[in-house]
Amino acid sequence: MISIDKYAYSSKLRYKDPMQKLVFTAMTVAVCIWAKNNIISVVVIFMMGGMTVLRGGIPLRFLLKLLLVPMSFLLVSIFTIAVNISDNKELLLLAVPVAGKWIGFSAAGLKDSIRLFLKALGAVSCLYFLSLNTPMVDLLSALRRLRIPKILVELTGLVYRFVFVLLDTVNRIYIAQSSRLGYSSLSSSYRSLGAMGSMLFVKAYKQSDALYTALEARGYDGELNVLAENYESHWSWYVSAVAVNALLVLLAVVMKSATGGPLL
Amino acid sequence: MNGNIFETRDLHYIYPDGTVALKGISIGIKRGKCTAVLGANGAGKSTLFLNFNGIYKPSSGQVLFNGNPLDYSRKGLKELRSKVGMVFQDPDSQLFSASVFQDISFGVVNMKLPEEEARRRVQAAMARTGITHLKDKPTHSLSFGQKKRVAIAGVLAMEPEVLVLDEPTAGLDPIGVNELMKLLRQIQDTLGITVIISTHDIDIVPLYCDYIFVMNEGKMVLEGTPKQVFAQKKILRSIRLRLPRIGHLMEILSEKDDFDLDTSANTISEARAALKDWKNRHSGCL
Repeated sequence: MISIDKYAYSSKLRYKDPMQKLVFTAMTVAVCIWAKNNIISVVVIFMMGGMTVLRGGIPLRFLLKLLLVPMSFLLVSIFTIAVNISDNKELLLLAVPVAGKWIGFSAAGLKDSIRLFLKALGAVSCLYFLSLNTPMVDLLSALRRLRIPKILVELTGLVYRFVFVLLDTVNRIYIAQSSRLGYSSLSSSYRSLGAMGSMLFVKAYKQSDALYTALEARGYDGELNVLAENYESHWSWYVSAVAVNALLVLLAVVMKSATGGPLL
Repeated sequence: MNGNIFETRDLHYIYPDGTVALKGISIGIKRGKCTAVLGANGAGKSTLFLNFNGIYKPSSGQVLFNGNPLDYSRKGLKELRSKVGMVFQDPDSQLFSASVFQDISFGVVNMKLPEEEARRRVQAAMARTGITHLKDKPTHSLSFGQKKRVAIAGVLAMEPEVLVLDEPTAGLDPIGVNELMKLLRQIQDTLGITVIISTHDIDIVPLYCDYIFVMNEGKMVLEGTPKQVFAQKKILRSIRLRLPRIGHLMEILSEKDDFDLDTSANTISEARAALKDWKNRHSGCL
C-alpha cells in the first residue's frame, strides 16, 4: 500500500488532471464489465498495463507483483465456478468419481470461469492504472469537483493523512517496546501489543484534540476548504478516452454479431 | 494606540480539571519586535499563547489586542485569528492535509479572499519560507524541519500582524535552528510582523530576540532586554533556567579567575568585543 502511494507521486502522469484519469478509468471498467468478452478483457489488460508502465513510468515488475495480489481470491472463485458435480460423466471433460457422482470440469463451466477471470483482471488493471498514476490528494480533489458529499471527501483526506502519522507512531512504539524486550516471548508479545493498542488510542485522541485546536487557529469554520491545485488538462484527453472506449464497444458488438449472440 | 500589540491584565487561567495554569499575568508585548517567553516545562507558556488567539478564554482578567479587549464572538474570533498566526510545536498536529499546497491554502481560503489573491499569498509564503520545491510532495514524505516550515508558511500566507510560535526550534538540528531563527528575524524585519516565541533554547535568545519574559509556575517573574534579564542570575537559576553558555563562561572568568571583564556578554560577538577590550586595556602590562 505504501509503495503504491510512493509510485503514484512519482508517476509521469501525476500532473495530468485526475478527473481525466478518473473518467477514463471509469469508462474502461464499465466497458470491460459490460462486454463479457475475452478479447476485450485482454485488450483492456494490455492497454491499461501499457499506459501504466510506458506512459506512467511504473516498473513492470512492480505492476506484475501487484497483479498477483488478487490472484489468490480470483483463482479460488473461478475454481468453484469451473468445478461441477454431475450424475452424467459425459457432460464433464475431466472427472473423478466421488460417492456415486462425478466431480469435474464441464466445457461451459470452464469457459465461464476463464471469461470471469479475464474480466476481473481487466477491471483490476484499470484500477491499478488509476491508483498507480494518481496520488490520493489529487483523486480527492477530483471527487470534490464531482460534488461527492464534502464530509466523505474530508474524512477520507484526514484518514489518509493520519494513517501515516499512526504508522509512524506504531513504528516508534514498537521499537521502544522491543528494545526493552517487549517481544521476546509469546506472552510478553501479547502484553506489549495490548499496551500499544491502548497507547495508540490515547495518542490518537490527543492528536485529534491538538489538530482541532490548530485548525481553529487558522479560522476553521466546519469545512476544510482549500485551493484546488492546477493540473495539466486538455479536452483532447477526454476525446481520446471516449474514442478508445467507443472502439472497444464497437469491437465487442462486431464480435457478438459475428458469433450470433444477442447484441446488447 | 500605544506600542503594544498584546497586553494582558491580571490574566488568570484555570483548566477544566482545576489546574491553575496562569496566576495573574500582566504584560505588554511590543509591536514589531521579537519577543521570547522563557520558562521551564509546565511554566504556562503554551497556555498563555492559547489565550492570545482566543482558543482559551481567561478565567479572569483580560487580553487586549491592539488596545482592544478580545471579542469572543464567532465573528470577533475569526477576525482575531486572521491577524494572530499561531504555529504549534508539533507540525504533525497542525498539518491536516497530505498535500503541502492545499494545507498552506487552508487559512487563506478561510479568510474568503478572492482566488487570485489567495493563490498569490500561498506562492509568496512558500517562496519566503523556502519550500516552493516541496509543493507537490506529500506531507508524510517531508522531514521534521520541512514540516515545520510548511506549518509556518500556512500561517504566514494569512499575512498576520503577529506570529506566535510555540517552541519553534524544538527538535531541529543545529543548522535548522539557525535557519529557522534567521527566517523569523527576516519575516519580522521585512514584513514588519511581530514575532513571539516560547523556547527552552536559551542560547538563541540573546541572538535573535529583543525582549524577554520569564515565567515560572504561572507567574511572570522577570522581563526586560536580554542584558537585563540575564543579569538576574540567581532568579533564573532558581526556576530551572540557566544563563546562555557564553554568559556563563564570562561569569566564571570574572568571578573565579579574576578577569575584569564585561560580564553582560551573552553572545559570541559580545564576548569577543569584551575580550578585545580586555586585551587593549592590558596590552601595556603584557
